[in-house]
Amino acid sequence: MRLGRHEFSDDTTLMMAIVNRTPDSFYDKGATWAEDKAFDRVAQVVAEGAEIVDIGGIKAAPGVEIDATEERRRVVDFVARVRSAYPDLVISVDTWRAEVGRAVCAEGADLLNDAWGGADPALVEVAAEHGAGIVCTHTGGVTPRTRPFRIEYADVVAAALADITAYAERAVAAGVDPRSVVIDPAHDFGKNTFHSLEVTRRLDELTATGWPVLVSLSNKDFVGETLDLPVGERLTGTLAATAVCALAGARIYRVHEVVPTRQVVDMVWSIAGRRRPARAIRGLA
Amino acid sequence: MSPTDVVVVPSAPALLPSYAGGSDPVAELRTACRGAVEWLAGRHPDGVAVVAAAARSDNVDRGMAEPVGTRVARHLLSVAGYRGDLVDAATGGASAALLVVANGSATRGEKAPGHLDERAVGFDASIDRALREGDPAALRELDPCLGESLWCHDVPALLSLGRLAPAASTVSVDYAGDPYGVQYWVVRWTCGS
Repeated sequence: MRLGRHEFSDDTTLMMAIVNRTPDSFYDKGATWAEDKAFDRVAQVVAEGAEIVDIGGIKAAPGVEIDATEERRRVVDFVARVRSAYPDLVISVDTWRAEVGRAVCAEGADLLNDAWGGADPALVEVAAEHGAGIVCTHTGGVTPRTRPFRIEYADVVAAALADITAYAERAVAAGVDPRSVVIDPAHDFGKNTFHSLEVTRRLDELTATGWPVLVSLSNKDFVGETLDLPVGERLTGTLAATAVCALAGARIYRVHEVVPTRQVVDMVWSIAGRRRPARAIRGLA
Repeated sequence: MSPTDVVVVPSAPALLPSYAGGSDPVAELRTACRGAVEWLAGRHPDGVAVVAAAARSDNVDRGMAEPVGTRVARHLLSVAGYRGDLVDAATGGASAALLVVANGSATRGEKAPGHLDERAVGFDASIDRALREGDPAALRELDPCLGESLWCHDVPALLSLGRLAPAASTVSVDYAGDPYGVQYWVVRWTCGS
């Protein structure tokens, strides 16, 4: 797997820490809206072992319209600052807009995380142009920043597979390095809770495609609705879903909490026989 | 044929690559084993006789018939680049080079695999003395029943060393320690003049 200037072997798992440059995202509610606070958050997640930061300038939920100019103002200079301070860190930017993607790639972004399923068809060309990676998500074709409303699928996993693989093939056709394409079923995006649970349960069908799979589960509504818990009390449920996805072979985990997620993924990866224990002497001395 | 060069290494499964973790809990021991076995294989590239205790009966019942000591010997020789014959001393094979896979008790502390048995100190000391003095006759005096009760299952291998090897003229103790409550040695003997 190649993400911009960074190469990873096929058995590596990666923590992608969320860094919001927004005043209104659902989990942190503007805690890193100030640039220095966001920079502190980068330092924290790097110290916690995150390999990737995912910098976003627009919250996913509906709200005040943020145009491309304002989105660029929020993220472009910040990407440059992080790039300069952390040359070994993979920088991802959560955007669906090609215009924003081009500006952040020029400042050293490695990965374009298109959470909205290719809403801007030119984004893949930007990734190709800059040698960046791209995350191809499934949203069922909904408009960016809209909530799902009475969306139904005969088979949500089949739909996700069809859309994601088509998107991935479109990216490669546009010139993106096949090693730089990542797929994401996009839990909660264009999906109700039953859909997200089914995607989790059947995640092995996505990993079987051979494309590296990213999962974004952290504190999402499908966890909250399943356990009847508000934001802030969803870590245990998030980690349970993380374990199921890890067993199925997901490679990248987009997270708010790096350390517990890393521990769960490492544990499951070892249970699956894909990672050696850190140190084993019990019964072997 | 009597052996002219002897190496003793422990039968710790932690030395096997199938049990390797991200970091090595027996790194110092492994380095000593590697050095001693490379020395032995370098001097005898065509034939090394291996002495190891038979597989424990409980492990045989679980389907593991090949002794752990044999597997440790094969691995260490492979790492040393040895491509010669592996001679099984237990079936009467002989060579000028002898690799003995054996350790002492596993009851040397409250956190030892077999917990603390104070008899371990004297038992291990008698082996330690025999190895350091290159004294095969002293090894022939070891009590296998006492060894079993101290979780040392390698006494048969040490008895074989006592029977097969002449007294050592030079001895090198490359490692002696019990980092996990199990007594390990890495020792080289050169026998004869």
